[in-house]
Amino acid sequence: MVTTPAVQARGLVKRFGRLTAVDQVDLRVEVGEVYGLLGPNGAGKTTFLRMLFGLIRPDAGELRLFGRSWAQDGPAALEGVAGFVESPRFYPYLSGRRNLELLAGLDGAGTRGDAVEQALKMVDLAGRAGDKVGGYSFGMRQRLGVGAALLRDPRLLVLDEPANGLDPAGIRDMRALVKRLAGSGLTVLLSSHNMDEVEEICDNVTIMRTGRVAFHGSIDALRAQAPDPAHRLVTSDDDRAMELAAEHPDVLATRQQDGSIALRAQTSAADAYLISLGRAGIAVRTLALEVTPLESLFFMLTDPDHTDPTPPAAVPAQPGRIGAHA
Amino acid sequence: MPSRPHLVLAALSSAAALAGLLAGCSSDVTTPRVERSLGPTFANLYVQQQTLLGHTGLTAATVAPRPTCSRTNPAAHNKGAGTDWICQVSWTGPDHKPLKGKFELTIHPNGCYEAGGPTKVIGPVTIRAADGKDVTNPVFEFDGCFDTT
Amino acid sequence: MTAPTTTTAAPEALPATPATRGRVTTAYRWEAAKLVAQARTRVTLGICLIAPFVFVTLLDQQSQVPKDTLFGRWIHASGFATPLFILGFASQWVFPLLTSIVAGDIFSSEDQYGTWKTILTRSHSRAQVFWAKTLVAATFAVLVVIVLGLATLTAGLLLVGHQPLEGLSGTLLSPGRAASVVLAAWATTLPPLLGFTALAIMLSVLSRTSAVGIAGPLVIGLIMQVYTFLNGPDAVRHLLLVTPFDSWHGLARDHPYYGPLWQGSLVSLGYLVVCLAVAHLMLRRRDITGG
Repeated sequence: MVTTPAVQARGLVKRFGRLTAVDQVDLRVEVGEVYGLLGPNGAGKTTFLRMLFGLIRPDAGELRLFGRSWAQDGPAALEGVAGFVESPRFYPYLSGRRNLELLAGLDGAGTRGDAVEQALKMVDLAGRAGDKVGGYSFGMRQRLGVGAALLRDPRLLVLDEPANGLDPAGIRDMRALVKRLAGSGLTVLLSSHNMDEVEEICDNVTIMRTGRVAFHGSIDALRAQAPDPAHRLVTSDDDRAMELAAEHPDVLATRQQDGSIALRAQTSAADAYLISLGRAGIAVRTLALEVTPLESLFFMLTDPDHTDPTPPAAVPAQPGRIGAHA
Repeated sequence: MPSRPHLVLAALSSAAALAGLLAGCSSDVTTPRVERSLGPTFANLYVQQQTLLGHTGLTAATVAPRPTCSRTNPAAHNKGAGTDWICQVSWTGPDHKPLKGKFELTIHPNGCYEAGGPTKVIGPVTIRAADGKDVTNPVFEFDGCFDTT
Repeated sequence: MTAPTTTTAAPEALPATPATRGRVTTAYRWEAAKLVAQARTRVTLGICLIAPFVFVTLLDQQSQVPKDTLFGRWIHASGFATPLFILGFASQWVFPLLTSIVAGDIFSSEDQYGTWKTILTRSHSRAQVFWAKTLVAATFAVLVVIVLGLATLTAGLLLVGHQPLEGLSGTLLSPGRAASVVLAAWATTLPPLLGFTALAIMLSVLSRTSAVGIAGPLVIGLIMQVYTFLNGPDAVRHLLLVTPFDSWHGLARDHPYYGPLWQGSLVSLGYLVVCLAVAHLMLRRRDITGG
């Protein structure tokens, strides 16, 4: 039985003058999924999310939330949907509590004090709720934004880089909160330019690049395509180390400008190579992981200089799902 | 398809053009309008003044003002707002005495005017009322307005 | 930062929010609440309440009378002359500014704070938010007229008295008649004032800045007044939005005339409809990329 997806986009297009910000984007988020929308700045994620929220009108294509669309249903399309796009904004001359009361009022729910208080508690702002938002730190405003979203008791939570601009403690807490919300059965659409964040929480992901979809599928499928890990190696005798590397066919070693060696190999092949270094009397001074496999895949997929429009390895379309753009 | 602000601009400029076309046709300030306003206003004020001076029994009807108004500037054709309006008014004073005087008017585009009368005929700025008090002479300088639609 | 509650057990669900559609009255209440929370609103209304008393006290102490404005010559003679005198010079210079302080800012402040995306992603449509803001701006304009009008009338009555008033057709108006003339005259400023409100709204929606929304109507009003002084074609004068501010003159007489009042109301309505239509359309079609 095919259930109504939480988000369904078909052939979405948006142009600003001569710039095509979103170019034939398809996307589908099932109910209960935790979905990642990845891409560098300028990839079109924000424009897509603004179309989802009805802030921008698409030039072509269709976008439905739980089966409803802005064109047909107006603001009713956002029923059960909440979140924010780019950093959440509030009225600086009102307190955090007052801002939430205003938004609860605009939800048609009236000022039900307990809903506002509970939302404030859940994002850990109950103590500062009486202070004017103008005095809030960036992180507090981010949390207030999540609180404002929870106020709607949503079925779909759309968060645009919720950990953006937070300090490490804030990032940790925000990720924990999002994970908890995702675990409670909410459908979550998380937009980010940070692969780690998405990898940790999401089931499926769409990667966007210059307005188009570069990859569409599960995290596992993405991992399977990831290239070998890249390391930076500095030894006591780099010349000899390079010679030795030539004897290991599974290891790719290249000399860098700063004298270090860029090592690319599967874990087992790298182990064997490093052991042989030691046997040859060469000490390893630095061995550092440069870039995680998924991150390197991400950069490859989203590199704007990459002239090949098709992704490196097309994911076979699964039945009932919309496949990657090819 | 022209954008909305351009459409608004087009609508406004055609309205202005239309108004400009109608402009030459008539003026808000015309001699009949001035005379029809000055006459009764002056008469009422004159009655007030005379009552203050103790001469009761006068009414605006018995005062029967007959104003003739024109502009000194010939190029204006006795039309339009200006500071050069002159009204020669003849009326009937107390004891059925015929009086006349020259009033100077400054008329504004909105149909309101200030009028000043000849001291010799209607008295100075302040006059001594019948009860001995000095009061403002209501007819020395006065305001009036008429309909310009 | 204190230890977050995130490490405890799964959160209780918030009380279910019923799926409701927005209503203009709800949005209106919250726009009004926002306005009241801003110091600028309270200060403006406070000035409207206090300034007339200060002004009339100063006027009272002068021996000369301001003869160049209607009823100026009678301000020592009757307390009813004061509100009409103030109406004469304040309506054209001050009123457009008084309404644009709110109307010229109520839309563009959302652009300034980046909060369009915050309020347009709840349960209200853009049209509902538009009408709520427009009605709040109109309410403020009406409030300003009421406060200022009553304050000037009270100041005149308290400091000068309730003597009969010399009308504009040479007859004395009784205190009762004078009082109703004063109230009616102030009421006639509402159509052009609401026209300026709509103008301020349109300018602030088009420009997305409060500076244009607030200064624009003032500048336009001044230009219109300059035109009136320059003695241009009368047909154009009848179409200006400052002309209806004078339409009360016909009321302050024995035999009132209402021509300018009808014409002025029609012209004001024209400005109102056109400006609001443009503003509404522009807001509905706008892509909100900021904030």
